[in-house]
Amino acid sequence: MTQQDENKEGIGGMINPRRYGIERVAYLLMRLSGLGLLAYFIGHIYETSSILKGEVGWNEFLELTQTNEGHAVLAIVIAMCVFHTVNGIRVMLGHGGVGVGKPARPDYPYTPASQNARHKIGIYSAIVLAAIAMMYGLAVMFGE
Amino acid sequence: MKIHYGTALAAVALVAVHVLMRLTQSFAESLEYENVIANYQFLPYAGMLEIILILLSVHGFNGLRVILLELKQGRVYEKAVSYGCVAAMIGLIAYGSRTIIMVNMGIV
Repeated sequence: MTQQDENKEGIGGMINPRRYGIERVAYLLMRLSGLGLLAYFIGHIYETSSILKGEVGWNEFLELTQTNEGHAVLAIVIAMCVFHTVNGIRVMLGHGGVGVGKPARPDYPYTPASQNARHKIGIYSAIVLAAIAMMYGLAVMFGE
Repeated sequence: MKIHYGTALAAVALVAVHVLMRLTQSFAESLEYENVIANYQFLPYAGMLEIILILLSVHGFNGLRVILLELKQGRVYEKAVSYGCVAAMIGLIAYGSRTIIMVNMGIV
């Protein structure tokens, strides 16, 4: 039991993106973006409730969020949203058996068939699309 | 996982509509008080906002539950996390619904 406890890395193990390649980085980014989006969603629900205070209350809250800092935060939210969506679709497809390769006898060096080029391209695509969406979002918000 | 994936796919489609609504006019203009009130008072759009609220609350808090259960296990801990996430989910849906219903009915 003690040995088992010693092997638990806890949150440090969960947030360590090294050792297992880009798949591990995607795992970490998926969780970070999920938590970030949940925090934004709660904030967004609170923000929109200020409309109940009438036009003055709504405009006061807009003054807080429609700033350069607010736009920068929103751009990060856009990037997190796109990454979470694209990588989520990749994970769903993989879970459904799409793009994970055919079952085969495990032979040395035991390369996991599921961690193949198709899924790696999916992860890199998610990162690139998130960056493009973030740039587009910045252009829309600051281009006015 | 079916709930998590189902809510994710449905939310992607509806959130895309929600974001595209901001792009039908300039970003700042779409956030003007009159425009936002008009959005809420258009019943199909208000209904869509309510569905998005439910889908994202279920997806978000179920995701948080999964992350917390990955971190630590134990009978009491798991029950506390699950019930806590369900309570937070219900609270957020209730708070968001209050805004949608009140503005839709013109109680502002």
